[in-house]
Amino acid sequence: MSTRRPGSRLATPVPAENGANGQPNSIVLGPNDRLVGQLYIEGDLRVTGTVDGTLEATGDIEIAGAGKVNGDVTAYNRLTVGSDASLIAGDVRVARLTVQDGATFSGKVSMGKPARKAEPKAPEPKPQPQVEPVVEPVVAQAAVAAAREPIKKGKRR
Amino acid sequence: MDVQEAVAEGQASVDNGEVKRDGRKQFSMGPGDILEGKLIYDGSVHADGRVEGEVRVTGNIDVATGANVKALLEGSNVLLKGQVEGMVTARDKLTLGKNARLSGDIQVRRLQIDDGATLNGHVRMGDFEHQASGQ
Repeated sequence: MSTRRPGSRLATPVPAENGANGQPNSIVLGPNDRLVGQLYIEGDLRVTGTVDGTLEATGDIEIAGAGKVNGDVTAYNRLTVGSDASLIAGDVRVARLTVQDGATFSGKVSMGKPARKAEPKAPEPKPQPQVEPVVEPVVAQAAVAAAREPIKKGKRR
Repeated sequence: MDVQEAVAEGQASVDNGEVKRDGRKQFSMGPGDILEGKLIYDGSVHADGRVEGEVRVTGNIDVATGANVKALLEGSNVLLKGQVEGMVTARDKLTLGKNARLSGDIQVRRLQIDDGATLNGHVRMGDFEHQASGQ
């Protein structure tokens, strides 16, 4: 594995499966899955497991099945809490909210205005939504170039 | 326990100026009506028009689509379809319809929020004995 790692990383550009190539990303936490900590995802999130921590998604967040979330939740689009699901939050920031009858739900809800994107991405002095995708290929190319150089040198020696 | 909306379909009768539906008192407002002050009522309230102040009832409260309510609301089942500003307590269930706009803290046993509703406030959920019907 350790011998493969550098090669495989270079062969598959990171953005390909990270939603950065313009395609929406999606994460599902199943009933046996557990997350402790923070998650920021550019895309949708579906939780049927347990989360202790902070969730933030640029798309939809759905807490379904017997999913349990303890922590702040920010969904730039929609948050859905299913009838058997539970959300015990400090702050809930969403654009749209659906809570089904039977759900456990508590927290401070803020809706109406689009959720602030600036907060988690604090170190952004200039608006650069277009810069990000450009930067990553450059980094990948640089990495490829950097990786090739030692190989050539090795052959020469 | 689940659905108490059948009240609206019952036979209405006028008795001593009170509209009764299925033997339960109903305080029913129209779109042009205005209520200002504090209402403590042994029955259910249909709020429409403009309501300001405080409404505490033993039965249910429903706020019509075009209603403008700036009041503390407390009832068993509370159904909001209009615009409400103020604290809402539902001893059983609070429902926010798709056109509901609620600014205020809520305390409920059960909660249902339909897609399209707007809520800004603190939500507390669970059984609460310390806050009776406020009479």
